[in-house]
Amino acid sequence: MTCERHMSGDLDLYFYDELPADEREELGRHLPGCDDCRAALDELHAIRAALALRPDVAAPASGDWSQFMSRLDSAVGRERSTSPRVLSLVAQPRGRYAEYLAIAALLALVTFSVTLAFRARHVPSAPRAAGSVQHSVPATTKDNSAFAAMTEEHFERSKLVVLGLATKDAAHETPADWEYERELATSLLDDTRLYRLAAEDRGLDALAGVMKDLELVLLQTSLTDAKDPSALPQLQRLIKRRDLIEKMDVVTTTGL
Amino acid sequence: MSADTDLISRAAGGDASAFQALVERHRTMVYRVAYQFAGNHHDAEDIAQEVFIKVYRSLDQFRQDAQLTSWMYRIVMNACIDHRRRSRPGTNAAAGDEAEYRMLNAPEETPGPEDQAYAGELGEVLQLEIGRLPKGQRIVFVMRHYQGMKLCEIAEALGLAEGTVKRQLHAAVHRLREALSQVRVTAGGRA
Repeated sequence: MTCERHMSGDLDLYFYDELPADEREELGRHLPGCDDCRAALDELHAIRAALALRPDVAAPASGDWSQFMSRLDSAVGRERSTSPRVLSLVAQPRGRYAEYLAIAALLALVTFSVTLAFRARHVPSAPRAAGSVQHSVPATTKDNSAFAAMTEEHFERSKLVVLGLATKDAAHETPADWEYERELATSLLDDTRLYRLAAEDRGLDALAGVMKDLELVLLQTSLTDAKDPSALPQLQRLIKRRDLIEKMDVVTTTGL
Repeated sequence: MSADTDLISRAAGGDASAFQALVERHRTMVYRVAYQFAGNHHDAEDIAQEVFIKVYRSLDQFRQDAQLTSWMYRIVMNACIDHRRRSRPGTNAAAGDEAEYRMLNAPEETPGPEDQAYAGELGEVLQLEIGRLPKGQRIVFVMRHYQGMKLCEIAEALGLAEGTVKRQLHAAVHRLREALSQVRVTAGGRA
């Protein structure tokens, strides 16, 4: 399969009806003269047909939800009674916002100072990706539950970037894609440093270690030259060597 | 106010029966995606549990003007990616009960018996291959192929660039096509 239309992934979009009308029309004209694309399209239809014959499984093996509901009920009960972090999220929504806002306001100066300090050390900066939010780490409070919730959210966002990098195919990278990844990594970098410092401050050594690894990956990504063909494989080796995805999984699964 | 937003509002206020009703309304969708992702009941059940616990934790974060299905899909996708297999890593083999389920539910009409056997085998191979895909590729494929979500919606839910999602879908489809080719070669060799 060597046709560019196929290699670019456009054929997948055609199959899933995701191409804009004009491109769809154009690809439709291309198909009759391209054996590669027609064969690939036939294969996609064969995959759809074969998977459509698989059973539709939408309930536990027994078909009975009672055990599932009972297990969930116990889990929710535990959340309600034993986890102060969860209680802060579930039971005290509006009131705690004001508290967090107050913490954030008090700590804005700390955050700002730390960020400035890092930038003064010639750490590269780049425009923030759209939708990115920088948090003020509650560094002067010992409210570990708030810190845990914010750390978890930060990990959720960062992990997707790391996963994206780990599963990228270097052969299909475009400069625009790289630019986006770099901006995203850069936008997360400052927050990661702040969380790492806060974790160190709290004596959360394991978490600080994962943050340090994440910081290294994000930093390398932010510094990567899109034209360097070895950059992505190097990053992927780094992620693998540091076992970063697994470590982040452990933190988000088990909490702090 | 829709039934869902009403339930969320009441559940966020501590009404346990409202939360239960919410789970009952959406558990089929959640379980289906979890099973398509995990390929076995053990992991699917764990993922579905994780989803509803996350929903419970996040009840107060749901915006009334947002689409509940989008919000739920987002939680499901992240739970799938976060999930660590309970059983042997790298396997996606169907359990005995699932084999029995397949046998009992095999389609009886077209395609013909030989084609059906071939398609059944092919479907099984593809299902196994889906289970071997990296998590990112797998969730993108499941949400696009089975759930019919647009790439831009998947990208938004996962916080990734649309180009990244497109490449992950392409990589997933490429691997499935390779698996398909291998089955065809084997089937051709047998004929």
